[in-house]
Amino acid sequence: MTRVVVLGAGIAGHTAAAFTRSWLGRGDTVTVISPRPDYNWVPSNIWVGVGLMKASKVTFPLAPVYERAGIEFVQASARELHPEGRDGDSTPYVTAEFGDGRRTGVRYDFLINATGPSLRFDKTPGLGPEDGHSLSVCLPDHAAQTAAALDEEVERMRRGERRKFLVGVGHGTCTCEGAAFEYIVNLEFELRNRGVRDKAEITWITNEYELGDFGMGGMHLKRAGYITPSSVFNASLFAERGIDWITRAHIHQVEPGRALYETLDGSRREQEFDFAMLLPPFSGVGLKAIDRAGADITERMFMPNAFMRVDADYTARPHEEWKAADWPRTYQSPDYGNVFAAGIAFAPPHAISVPRKSPNGTVIAPAPPRTGMPSAMIAKAVARSIVDMAGGAREPTHSASMAEMGAACVASAGANPFTGTAASMTVFPIVPDYDLYPPYGRDVKRTFGEIGLAGHWIKILLHHMFLHKARLRPGWRLIPE
Amino acid sequence: MDTDKTEYVTNPTRPTLFMRTFLPYQAWRFAVINLKMIEIIRRSHKTETTDA
Repeated sequence: MTRVVVLGAGIAGHTAAAFTRSWLGRGDTVTVISPRPDYNWVPSNIWVGVGLMKASKVTFPLAPVYERAGIEFVQASARELHPEGRDGDSTPYVTAEFGDGRRTGVRYDFLINATGPSLRFDKTPGLGPEDGHSLSVCLPDHAAQTAAALDEEVERMRRGERRKFLVGVGHGTCTCEGAAFEYIVNLEFELRNRGVRDKAEITWITNEYELGDFGMGGMHLKRAGYITPSSVFNASLFAERGIDWITRAHIHQVEPGRALYETLDGSRREQEFDFAMLLPPFSGVGLKAIDRAGADITERMFMPNAFMRVDADYTARPHEEWKAADWPRTYQSPDYGNVFAAGIAFAPPHAISVPRKSPNGTVIAPAPPRTGMPSAMIAKAVARSIVDMAGGAREPTHSASMAEMGAACVASAGANPFTGTAASMTVFPIVPDYDLYPPYGRDVKRTFGEIGLAGHWIKILLHHMFLHKARLRPGWRLIPE
Repeated sequence: MDTDKTEYVTNPTRPTLFMRTFLPYQAWRFAVINLKMIEIIRRSHKTETTDA
């Protein structure tokens, strides 16, 4: 009997659990440990945040789905990994903590760490909806709160007041600029729909060096006889919609009604707002690792940012020496062959965008994205490797390097079946490989982008398809990651 | 908005804006974009198998 334990039930964890369960034998067990009772299709949270969708449309309870699929569900937060077991019993286990503080140990033969990010609003004083002065769409309840705040702003504008909107990222090391981008263009579209656009001043604030970087170093698109950087398309999209932008920025403090920020040239400025939706930086969730003797081995298994070390090359090198081969392939822990990480939980070897610091030493550069399609593909490859290893394979049998896979992405720019639009993009590979695809690092035939109503239809289709897949309804395996 | 920025960006022409929501053209683009995405998904899934 093989016991597989999956930590986390987001896109990576849920995908890994579903495929592992599907491929393992009946005598084997799959257990998911996750603190939240619901699955959340995060890409659609932006629609909740502009009031177009209820939070209940992007979530569903996990327990009945797992019961039907034969997956054990423990609603608790994973706290400690014991990959060597304890004195007298070498069976590895995970310590998880329930909401009431009780702890339990869950034994495993194989472990998948898919805990996703910790939302580090605390990295910027005053950031965030709970203890700060800004809003978020990271979680369904955050997004619902943001929609309610937007309704209030619209009411004020209907009474004739002018309002300032600030959208973007709340720290110099944030990732997920794409999600904030989707939010700002949907916000602008929604304000037009509600007839108050002329009363709104909308500003984008980002840690990207140029617009359209998205933590991937931007893209180059072949269009009308030119290879054009994505910054050109992004700037065009903003200018067309009357959205102003601030790039190369690190917000160091959010106060009521104003964000204080520093830019790469070292200057310090402030931006006033009435409504700010600013995404937080991420770190790992802070799992501890303990060896058999009880010694703390967290630093061995995890990087300082609390993401898990896997089979990447973490040697510190200057940006010019970064290679596609630095990126992990199997996501196996170098110390424990039965432990894997999937999705945001694995530690990338370095950024994709060029790292930059201000003269004050402030890092202002996006972290690499690893959400959505790559998260799910990594999880599926890890699940397949584990099932094969449970069947006798000595090494992981499947790989999913972000330097060898592409990504298809649809960024909503207005939700309406006849007048809405979305930017449809493909990029191949996600991590540029300058040896294989000089000089841009990507296959320009397979890296493309266009904006139009068709993209919105695809976005709607994907929303329903991926929720169908996540509910493990008939035919879910046929829907690609 | 800062006019320095808007003066130096690429702006879509009226026909480009019209085509973005012109239903027959978008139905065609729906098919084309889906095919492009399927190609990326197909190529990306190829990376799963190793020789191990």
